[in-house]
Amino acid sequence: MSHLLSYLIFIPFVGALVALLIPANRINFFKQLTLGVSIIQLILLVLILSAYKINAGVQLAENIPWITLQLGSWGSLHAEYFVAIDGLSLPMVALSVVIMAIAVISSWNIEKNHKGYFTLLLILNGAIIGSFCALDFLLFYVFFEFMLLPMYFLIGIWGGPRREYASIKFFLYTLLGSIFILIVLVASYLSIKDPATSNEVVHTLNVLHMQNPDNIIPGSLLDVDTEDQYGPYSFRMWAFLLLFIGFAIKLPAVPLHTWLPDAHVEAPTAISVILAALLLKFGGYGLLRFAYPIFPDGAIEFAWMVGFVGVLSIIYGALNALASKDLKRLIAYSSVSHMGFVLLGVASATAEGAGGAVYQMFSHGIISAMLFLIAGVLYDRTHDRLIANYSGLASKMKSYTAFVLIAFFASMGLPGFAGFIGEVLVFFGAFQSHAINGLIPIWMPIVATSGLLLGAGYFLWTIQRMFYGPYSIRIHVPELTDINSREYIMLLPLAVAALLFGILPQLLMKYINPFASEWVEELFKHASFFNP
Amino acid sequence: MNDQLQDIYQSMQWLMPELLLTSAILITLFVGLFVTKNKHILLKSISLFVYAAALVLVALQEIDNPVSLFGNMLRADDFSNYFKILFLTGGFLTVWISQEQKEKNSTEYFILIQAVVTGSCLLVMSMNFIMVVLSIELISLSSYMLSGFGFDKKSAEGSLKYFLFGTVATACMIYGMSLLYSLSGTLDYSSETFLKNLLENTTPLLLVGGILTLAGFLFKISAVPFHLWAPDVYEATPTPIVAFFAVVPKLAGLAIITRFTLAINLFGQSGFNWQLIIAVIAAMSILVGNLSALAQQNPKRLLAFSSVAQSGFMLLGIVSFSTEGIHFTMFYAAVFLLMNFLVFIALNQIESAWGAHLIPAFAGTGKIFLIPALTMLVGLIALTGLPPTAGFTAKLLIFSSLWAGYEQSGSLILLFVFIVGLLNTVISLFFYLKIPYYQFIKEKKRDATGLRISFAENLLTILLAIALFYLFLHPDGLMRWINRISFVL
Repeated sequence: MSHLLSYLIFIPFVGALVALLIPANRINFFKQLTLGVSIIQLILLVLILSAYKINAGVQLAENIPWITLQLGSWGSLHAEYFVAIDGLSLPMVALSVVIMAIAVISSWNIEKNHKGYFTLLLILNGAIIGSFCALDFLLFYVFFEFMLLPMYFLIGIWGGPRREYASIKFFLYTLLGSIFILIVLVASYLSIKDPATSNEVVHTLNVLHMQNPDNIIPGSLLDVDTEDQYGPYSFRMWAFLLLFIGFAIKLPAVPLHTWLPDAHVEAPTAISVILAALLLKFGGYGLLRFAYPIFPDGAIEFAWMVGFVGVLSIIYGALNALASKDLKRLIAYSSVSHMGFVLLGVASATAEGAGGAVYQMFSHGIISAMLFLIAGVLYDRTHDRLIANYSGLASKMKSYTAFVLIAFFASMGLPGFAGFIGEVLVFFGAFQSHAINGLIPIWMPIVATSGLLLGAGYFLWTIQRMFYGPYSIRIHVPELTDINSREYIMLLPLAVAALLFGILPQLLMKYINPFASEWVEELFKHASFFNP
Repeated sequence: MNDQLQDIYQSMQWLMPELLLTSAILITLFVGLFVTKNKHILLKSISLFVYAAALVLVALQEIDNPVSLFGNMLRADDFSNYFKILFLTGGFLTVWISQEQKEKNSTEYFILIQAVVTGSCLLVMSMNFIMVVLSIELISLSSYMLSGFGFDKKSAEGSLKYFLFGTVATACMIYGMSLLYSLSGTLDYSSETFLKNLLENTTPLLLVGGILTLAGFLFKISAVPFHLWAPDVYEATPTPIVAFFAVVPKLAGLAIITRFTLAINLFGQSGFNWQLIIAVIAAMSILVGNLSALAQQNPKRLLAFSSVAQSGFMLLGIVSFSTEGIHFTMFYAAVFLLMNFLVFIALNQIESAWGAHLIPAFAGTGKIFLIPALTMLVGLIALTGLPPTAGFTAKLLIFSSLWAGYEQSGSLILLFVFIVGLLNTVISLFFYLKIPYYQFIKEKKRDATGLRISFAENLLTILLAIALFYLFLHPDGLMRWINRISFVL
């Protein structure tokens, strides 16, 4: 039982290998295999949850040496296969397992090339969970990059009419972000030594070691006493900025978000779900796991910028959503807006703000998945997503409308839904920050509240335009049918989760809270090391 | 007299692999003259056997300290043996994938490949400018002829172009060497006299001589601005030969550049900034190679520009002038051999089965030739430098060496090439994905009955792909071997 996380990560890869060896005409086998993998993962998730001890920090760790390279006069490089979970990664891993299972069900009606599709889906599954569990920077980076290629093909082969443009744009944007991260990775590991070895310098990429300022080699570029300046900033500041840009592209934050609407509009439903619910989370996750703890001085120096980009994303994303004519594009921009709250929460560097950011990532994962599934349900029936083409759908598709209302209200942040808890916590943190640590000015959360109003605006307006009024649709399709049982199976658990985590936030907060308070404490402790 | 004979006799023992290759050339020639039936298969088997045997001979040589041969004309050391193994593997793979030649030409075909490999082996051992020129000419003259092996107008044009550019480059190189000779008074560039005299004579002539000599070497690795021949020659030459050109002469050039720049840099005491010169050439190669590749429609021209950029990346390892940097370049060289051959072999399979020559014509081949297309994807991803392939590890190490060099010396040029190199990964992704994009994403219906590539033919590409994954997961083994290579000039 000590290898639970490895099982969780590698079972999909084994599944992919099996899928490769099976002849392509056995369509049902691929579906069942992928679903089977997801079911095993759900069982493993239950085991992980029962083995997880609250308030015990990083646990279920597996640590095996991976690469040990002698670098001659510079000591040696030591990278580990180091996976573990804590209060930050546990919600993300749980979310990934659930969303991947739903994505498989949503892929049931894929029309072509099943073998390729499900193989790529399995690879993506393993890579996502691997990145969330990795506590070695190199290992994280490898899994992180490994997500891009399956995603590129999943959008490029099974996507909509402009899929080719969208997939390469997605790939190039996110690769650019990864390169910024790689620059910091290469530049920083040579400045960090493993505390366990004393006589020889062992450079480590273990994140826990990288976070501890005691492990920085004196006189190296990461050292606080290094006087080298590059333009206006020291190297540490630049490293933080590069990491921030790298993860902000993934988040995505305005103005680096332009790949997202294209990718979402063209991607097939299941891939949109994964993209919105899981891949975007790496933006927030990366900041919380790498950028902030490794460069706390940069985090404090640039808190205003992170907060500002967050507020900008909230407002700009919401305004764009308001102007969108395509339902999927609207949802994509609403994602930009909601992920802005994550930035605002992280920037506040308070326990509430950081916890709220994690909660917001989790709830956005559930709600955005639901939103994209809803868009997919309609698209499957009509092959059209223009909002203006529909009206009065409520009279034809009653259950569908019910789910749409739940999803929209949850996404608006209505009390009683999961989205509310995340946003309220973020606001608590952001308003407090002014008084506690003075990192972000009070006007930022005030302006951000208008994002909530705009959110209500575009969602309610969409409901009014599409679902109320007399029934008419402006495209030729056979009679619209209400959702079928497969779609129920996908939507119902998500709707329940959106409510459950809105009413009983303690279910999740008990995992997040210890992490968030320790995170903030460490952040300021380490920051004081650099700015005494 | 007796001492000299003794020296020659003892040197011969170290030269067994090269002697074997040379005798193989003679054997191939005679067999080609007298055998008429199944000539291709027979000659191919002889070639394969010779490369394998030479590999064993090289691997068996135990060299604790560098051995000086023939009055320091050549030197046998770990460094040269490492590269020889790469050349012989390259030759083996090239012959393995070579299709049947026209009956009357097959003898020359194998002989010329053997000559290039022999020349490359001698080049990495050369310590004397005379030997350098002879080896480079052995490589070049054979290459000029090999590039004409398509036997059509285009091939003839490519071959002639290669010849004209090549002779000018060689002329420059010899002129440069003569200038260096006039300054140092010796042709042995590893000798103390060479270093001492050049340290005393810091004249601009030294810079001119060094650059002209480098020009000849850079031509071999098709680095900017000596890359113009590459796309035309690659386009016109049969694919197995292109794969060969892109690896063996290039790595030979890389090895001699490594030795020569270390010599001319005079342990960092040279009055001229050789680091800057190599760094600029490397950065230019990466930029020009990548940007030119973006516009290509022919897969071989695309790969020609890609190989220009890859030369730049390999030069980056030398730029830091550290032992580690050179070790990482050697690691990169081995990975480059694997990934480049993988891409070309898969390309060759698809091209010959499908009859397509432009990238858009590859539309839909991903489904028909799944395994070649997938393995080619692995190779291209490795060339881009993405995990989980050894291409990533190789680039990571090269960039580490640049960063460490920068941290130690504070030289901004290292920081500059570090950033240029990394950002170019994004550009290169765009064109490396072009072929898979047409193979997998673009759709085209075409009757593909009867078009199959057998498992046996796919085995080689699968093995190469697995090697790339393996070196990603466990680079330790190869690096430990490379780390043992002591590098003394």
